[in-house]
Amino acid sequence: MVASPQPAARLQWLFGAMAMPRGWRAGAGPMVAAAVLFLIVLASLLAPLIVPHDPMSMDALQRLKGPSETHPLGTDAYGRDLLSRVVTGGRISLLIGIGAAVVSVLIGLLTGLVSGFFRIADAIIMRVMDSLMAIPSILLAIALVALNGPSIWSVMSAITIPEIPRVVRLVRSVVLSAREEPYVEAAVALGSSMPKILWQHLMPNTLAPLIVQGTYICASAILTEAILSFLGAGVSTEIPTWGNIMAEGRVYFQLKPSLIFWPGVMLSLCILSINLLGDTARDKLDPRLKKREA
Amino acid sequence: MRFKTRNFDDVPSVLRIDELTVRLADNDTAPPVLDRVSLEIRQGETVCLVGESGSGKSVTSLSVMGLLPKGALAATGGRIELEGRNLLALGAQAMRHMRARKISMIFQEPMTALNPVIRVGAQIEEVLDTHARLPAREKRARVLDIMSQVHLPDVERIYHSYPHQLSGGQRQRIMIAMALILEPQLLIADEPTTALDVTTQKQILSLIAELQEKHGTAVLFITHDMGVVAEIADTVHVMRRGQIVERAPVEGLLRHPKHDYTRELLKAVPSLTPRPSRPQPDGPAVLSVDGLQKIYGAHGLFSRRKTTRAASDVSFSIPRGRTLGIVGESGSGKSTVARCIMRLIDPTDGEIRVADREIARLSRRALRPYRKHIQIVFQDPFRSLNPRWTIGRSLIEGPLNTGAEKKTALKRAAELLMLVGLPDDAVNRYPHQFSGGQRQRVAIARAIAMEPDVLVADEAVSALDVSVQAQVLELLETLQRKLGITILFITHDLRVAAQICDEVVVMQHGRIVEHDSAANVLSNPRHAYTRSLIEAAPGRAWDFANFHELQTV
Repeated sequence: MVASPQPAARLQWLFGAMAMPRGWRAGAGPMVAAAVLFLIVLASLLAPLIVPHDPMSMDALQRLKGPSETHPLGTDAYGRDLLSRVVTGGRISLLIGIGAAVVSVLIGLLTGLVSGFFRIADAIIMRVMDSLMAIPSILLAIALVALNGPSIWSVMSAITIPEIPRVVRLVRSVVLSAREEPYVEAAVALGSSMPKILWQHLMPNTLAPLIVQGTYICASAILTEAILSFLGAGVSTEIPTWGNIMAEGRVYFQLKPSLIFWPGVMLSLCILSINLLGDTARDKLDPRLKKREA
Repeated sequence: MRFKTRNFDDVPSVLRIDELTVRLADNDTAPPVLDRVSLEIRQGETVCLVGESGSGKSVTSLSVMGLLPKGALAATGGRIELEGRNLLALGAQAMRHMRARKISMIFQEPMTALNPVIRVGAQIEEVLDTHARLPAREKRARVLDIMSQVHLPDVERIYHSYPHQLSGGQRQRIMIAMALILEPQLLIADEPTTALDVTTQKQILSLIAELQEKHGTAVLFITHDMGVVAEIADTVHVMRRGQIVERAPVEGLLRHPKHDYTRELLKAVPSLTPRPSRPQPDGPAVLSVDGLQKIYGAHGLFSRRKTTRAASDVSFSIPRGRTLGIVGESGSGKSTVARCIMRLIDPTDGEIRVADREIARLSRRALRPYRKHIQIVFQDPFRSLNPRWTIGRSLIEGPLNTGAEKKTALKRAAELLMLVGLPDDAVNRYPHQFSGGQRQRVAIARAIAMEPDVLVADEAVSALDVSVQAQVLELLETLQRKLGITILFITHDLRVAAQICDEVVVMQHGRIVEHDSAANVLSNPRHAYTRSLIEAAPGRAWDFANFHELQTV
């Protein structure tokens, strides 16, 4: 009689009995954040289908026009449609945000597991991590762009590399405390191999904090990408990103502030929503915080 | 056995609890946590509250202190009366005023009850500060006075010590000093000796009795240990599921228990009389340990650290189907020996032979095939099973490692669950759906699944209630009879050792001081340390299960 576990039980397997929230009912804030984020992601995914104009096509006659029927948000200095550019710009920003989060969490998870479990590896890995933490991401990005030319990969690695040590430290601390649990010692006594113990017993303990950390990395990566583009050290200036649009609009700020306003609003909304969802996940997944609330 | 026989008929009462009901907050349908509990404590009296975990003993004491967790538990009915005032009706300010002056409390674990970053002298002074205004010199004098009253040595030095620099017994003395410095009428002691070794426990119990006599304090003593009850109680209240089921003077309760539950509780107390000896088998030793040594802190790369000998020159052997107990107080090295034998830590020196194979020097990888011969059951059933895994998954982990097929392993897991007395549909459930005793059965089943030659039980019944303890001991016994397993049983509790062991090894400071048959160790101890252990066992002259004095003593 071995039924496959129910979906709820599977979630429980993921997060542990204690961390399983009673329901996913959250307050109004997180619900709005989820809705906003969903809309932004959907719009970015479908951007080529839904934008009214080609975000790259220039029109010398339509420079710096105000809102009209054909251009709901007006046009920029080259006569390109601002609405189309802002919607399309979300694609790169979100790609970099999510990409940086996924890559740094994956690398950090594997490194952290090894570091937490093997003492000798720990001594070496943590010194490497210490030096990585000393690299400021903006300087690294400028160096990488100077070396390789502006590309999405330079930006992504510049953002990801300094985030990895944070993830490693987090995973390592969880593993260090979980490995002292008797059930891990019992697994050793049962003859389980080290990789098996690491992945099946220890790794699930790190998932809840990693999900939370991942959202923060995602938000800060989007912000860093915007900063880099604004400074001209980001992806190539032809590709619309929120940072690029703002960087170009900076010159015409006094003439037409909406060039900075709209991408800025999108950026803020996006980051605000992700952070809010991250906070909610943290409160729901960490039973200690929940108790304090009560 | 001499019980307390003081008469309290004419003594004024200090605390009177009347029909106290406590419920889960915002849940009126659940059964109450405390159901109309009534209790009276008179001046100088020691009232013991006994019961198993979850019976409501601690909730009763927290209600009196006004420390029920807010939002989780709430007193919904009854009165708690101290000096004619209803404590339940007092505000937070007034209640704070009562604490320490009128009622104070000592807890089970003195390390967590004391602030680790403040010197203990300052912590005692803090109690004075919040309740009285005294010049610094007088304050200090009073603190030193109460510290010498609780028989702390070298009070000037200890006054300036941090909690971690003191032993467990000394920390508990500090707690008692803090509790008694304002001479409260009522002292609540919530399992104050449970975390202490037997010899320390004896000292703390006699200290409480001495101070009680001196100050006329009434004591509400909460414990699960019938031995302690026999030593110190005037009156005993037996609690079960939030109700007091029986109350009587101590001797009456132990001699003529009326309620079925009380009888059950007393019957479950393991006797200090060793079990009848079994015939000595003539097979070769299944587990033999020779000259085992473990030194901590020996390998400093750059520094010469001080080394600790956790175990030195430990040798013994056990034949098939027998049980050897290792008995000792905390820090005696008994757990170190168990963990070395399991190779959870690496021994510094010595030989360990399991099923004719030397395993002390094998590398971790080379050791893995031999792991199946020796399995362990840990103390804490709440942490020894992975909370994210179903019982079935935990049970088949070992067999899968030795190459069993998943299907056969799962079938076997269901059989094992039946064998340890659990329903076979438990396979698909999670550990949190089971009680402590049930989880310990699962842990035993997991160990048995490997078909080991040797089972190491490291304090395997110490975290369980006495009635559950008795059942688990019986289970181990049955398994041994059916499967012929050799058991290495590590415990601090002489009563438990007496019930299950054929031979007993007594350890002190990492060395074996005595090794003999259980009967000889318990009734005819040769080493002074063994004698002191037996003498410190509370209620040792009383045969709880048969409601009369022990015949042999």
